[in-house]
Amino acid sequence: MTTNKIEIKDLTVNYIENKRSFNALHDVSFGVGRGEFVSVIGASGCGKSTLLSVLEGLYTPAGGSVQIDGKELHGTGTERGVVFQHYSLFPWMTTRKNIEFGIKQSRHDVKRSERAKIADEFLTKVGLSGFGSKYPSQLSGGMQQRAAIARALAMNTEILLMDEPFSAIDAKNRVVLQELLLKLWEGDGTEERKTVVFVTHDIDEAILLSDKIVVLTAHPGTVNEVVNVPFERPRRREELVKTDEYGKFRNRLLSLLYSDIAERIGGDEVVL
Amino acid sequence: MTLRKRYLRVTHLLFIALLLIQLLPDKSTKEVFTGSLIAFAVGLEIIVLGASSFIKKEEGVSLLLDIAGFVYVLLGVWSLATAKFNVLNDLLFPAPGKVIHQFTEDRSAILTNIVSSLGTTVKGFILAAVVAIPLGLFIGWSARVGGAATYITKFFSSIPPIVYIPYGIALLPTFKSVSVFVIFLATFWPVFAGTMSGVLGVDKKIIDSAKVLNVSKPEMLFRVILPASLQQIFLGCNQGLSVSFILLTSAEMIGARDGMGYYVKYYSDFGDYTRTITGLLVIGFVVIGVTFLFNKLQNRLLRWKR
Repeated sequence: MTTNKIEIKDLTVNYIENKRSFNALHDVSFGVGRGEFVSVIGASGCGKSTLLSVLEGLYTPAGGSVQIDGKELHGTGTERGVVFQHYSLFPWMTTRKNIEFGIKQSRHDVKRSERAKIADEFLTKVGLSGFGSKYPSQLSGGMQQRAAIARALAMNTEILLMDEPFSAIDAKNRVVLQELLLKLWEGDGTEERKTVVFVTHDIDEAILLSDKIVVLTAHPGTVNEVVNVPFERPRRREELVKTDEYGKFRNRLLSLLYSDIAERIGGDEVVL
Repeated sequence: MTLRKRYLRVTHLLFIALLLIQLLPDKSTKEVFTGSLIAFAVGLEIIVLGASSFIKKEEGVSLLLDIAGFVYVLLGVWSLATAKFNVLNDLLFPAPGKVIHQFTEDRSAILTNIVSSLGTTVKGFILAAVVAIPLGLFIGWSARVGGAATYITKFFSSIPPIVYIPYGIALLPTFKSVSVFVIFLATFWPVFAGTMSGVLGVDKKIIDSAKVLNVSKPEMLFRVILPASLQQIFLGCNQGLSVSFILLTSAEMIGARDGMGYYVKYYSDFGDYTRTITGLLVIGFVVIGVTFLFNKLQNRLLRWKR
């Protein structure tokens, strides 16, 4: 028995749409080690977000199992912090109140009076000090995601689930946010790292951040391959992207990502 | 804004023109109370001058001046047509000074009637909101009965609430309680429908966000669904409020013993059209005041929407 933090086994998810059921995920199995950063990549429609909804507890699988610390997963739970692409924050609460609400839900030991202090501390960590009394609508998309990350971190959960958190951000800010997340997650080595499952369709994002990348293939979503990322930490983007290894590794991922499409083109199946 | 721009406006010329009109000899056979009109105009002008040196925004000052200018023109034309040239029937059309004088004379009676009218409206309105909002949240949230509730609401809200009055009179002990009951019905359905459509329209992403935070059922309803559907709820409330005033004044004219609708009806029955016009104007001011305050509340509670 492995000591994985999250163990996904033969996971099958069926979607029912217009009374017709279709297979979104089929026999997906992989493990996420304690303190490991795992990205799930795949073309759109491959079921990567569905996979994360199952981990979030929002979706019940048709078959297979998900275990956390050896225990079967049932519904949502505050041992998992979540960052969505949109609306992670409640628009009617200020950023500080949003974070305080998250702390209230996950950390019952924290007194009411301390919540605001912790909230401000994490706002500072993500570079949003002074924005605590702003409403999400008053912040840019990038700042909203910073605040969402601040809340997830302030909730102090062991697991962090991130569903394309930077996909709606412009390219320049996306890079800044990736580096911020990398810095916050890697930490200074004094604290135990969080276990992260990160869904994205951005290959460079996945390589920069992850220890391990799960490549999904669509129709139905199955695991094509689980690839270990060979680059040392702490990682620096500018240095990393210049190396030959990076280019080779990136190409390998690309070919894995598009292998199913290539196969189908070979078999004259695709009408473009 | 320069001093010239601030004080040399056409509004002030209109004010002076209004005063000059008052120098013309009166032709009306009735008392016209020119003094009351002048006092009112001077008071308004002082307020306008004072406020225009306090208000920072130029648009605010312009708006105030334009409104005051309109009032001066109205009063000027009105006094020319009545007091000065007596071209209108002076029984049906009292001079403006007379209406202003009547207002100061009757102020305590008018105040009592306003309090009575507002009391009835507020009671019916709040009662409706307190029942309709939680009920709308619960029913909208339980998807199974939500669909049926939409049709049922459509049916009941299509009945003009005023037709409940005769039945209400049979059911309830006092006419006051009938008024409250009718306002309750008039407000209940739009607020209930607004709340339900708000709940049904809440973005699934917001609900997912709340679910992953493991919120309890009451928290989901009152800290997530309620604020998320607040705009739709206010839409229903606004509709309810405007119907309430129509209903209330109608009801007061049918059978009440006090209230602003009663005041207008009572004195027009006696042919006292000075008081009738006074009453009409007062109702206008009260409704505008209440709507203004309600909009303030709405903007305050929805300030998080950009």
